[in-house]
Amino acid sequence: MLATVVHTDELLQTVAASVVAGVGITVVFSIAIWGAARFVDLSSNERPVAAGAAAVVGVLALVATLAAVVVGIVVMTSG
Amino acid sequence: MSSDIILVIVVGTALAFDYTNGFHDTANVVATSISTRAARPQVAVAFAALLNFAGAFISISVAATVASDVVDAGAITPTVVFAGLIGAIAWNLITWYFGLPSSSSHALIGGVVGSAFVAGGADAVLSDGVIGKVLIPAVVAPLLAFTIAGVAIGLAYRLVGRERPGTVTRGFRYGQIVSGGMLALAHGTNDAQKTMGIITLALIANGNLGAGSDPPFWVIFSAAAAIALGTYSGGWRIIRTTGSRIIKMDAAQGFSAQGAGAAVILSSTHFGFPLSTTHVINGGVMGAGAGKRLSAVRWGVAGNIFVAWLLTLPAAAAIGAATYGVTRAFGTGAVGPVVVTVIALALIALAFARRSRQGSPVPAS
Repeated sequence: MLATVVHTDELLQTVAASVVAGVGITVVFSIAIWGAARFVDLSSNERPVAAGAAAVVGVLALVATLAAVVVGIVVMTSG
Repeated sequence: MSSDIILVIVVGTALAFDYTNGFHDTANVVATSISTRAARPQVAVAFAALLNFAGAFISISVAATVASDVVDAGAITPTVVFAGLIGAIAWNLITWYFGLPSSSSHALIGGVVGSAFVAGGADAVLSDGVIGKVLIPAVVAPLLAFTIAGVAIGLAYRLVGRERPGTVTRGFRYGQIVSGGMLALAHGTNDAQKTMGIITLALIANGNLGAGSDPPFWVIFSAAAAIALGTYSGGWRIIRTTGSRIIKMDAAQGFSAQGAGAAVILSSTHFGFPLSTTHVINGGVMGAGAGKRLSAVRWGVAGNIFVAWLLTLPAAAAIGAATYGVTRAFGTGAVGPVVVTVIALALIALAFARRSRQGSPVPAS
């Protein structure tokens, strides 16, 4: 009986979307912060190439975070 | 004519419920941002109110569930919806008085189910919808938010744990402006839609709308405005009490808790699951705490939430059922709802007066 009333497909999609968004955004944003922190450290150690690489990683991760937020809102409004 | 008077009372009561929902839940939405100093209290509250308002416009899936999947709209009347609302408000008032953390959303659904059951029998309650769309998501969602926040904070600490704390904290504080905003948006979209669903249900029951209709724009706008005003008003009380009652956490934990809460609420809203946003946000906060240190979680609070969670649906249903019985004792006209409204307002005033003499209760989150 329970199997017929549980919206299994919708529930699994909710779980999957929540995990991807919730864990994914925190991880990607942490990479952005890691990039910023490494950039500060490496710049003060006068390692400009490594600092530049860390900054690029950080900026890309920040852009990915913001893109994920925008995509999330677009998916919500299109439903 | 009398059914139109009842409809006006139902709409007014539903909007008042929505206002108190926003007032009640401001702490959940802004506490994390204020606690980690990601935003000044005034800014956090104003931002949350604005995004609660905006959130109410981005989906109507939850409103459709409340209006169509919980009770049979064809078998009920505006009086049934009124009795359900009174059941929810009464249970919220009781739990507020005794300091129990309860869910306004579960109280609302419980109240309507109870009054519909008494009015129309078991057939008036769509048990498949109640189990599949309300009860099961009610169990899954807080556990999901807890797990996501715990895993996310664990991974975040692995990534940035060896970096300079100042840079990391500053970074996550900036991030919390976005994650806090998403949480407020999520709260607005799920909670305001329950009021939209209830008003739509009353309009269908009164014959103003056809079965399966979407909420009209004025319903969406008024529900959005009521929850935003409630959030803003509740915020000033929070600002005065900031510090002593708020869970201490670092900015990374705040970010992961808010992110987990927003992700679960927004995903569930997309599929029309009417959640308890209170339970989801608390689940995220506890998960972020447990991810750092298991003993950081206030397991006593978790126990209280669990007990209140178990009690809310049946208790609100019982009060909703009793209210319907009392209302119908005065006949099918508007006299019953008017009398019950007057009694309810008197009891609310009495409860506030007694509470103000005894001091503030433990905040019912």
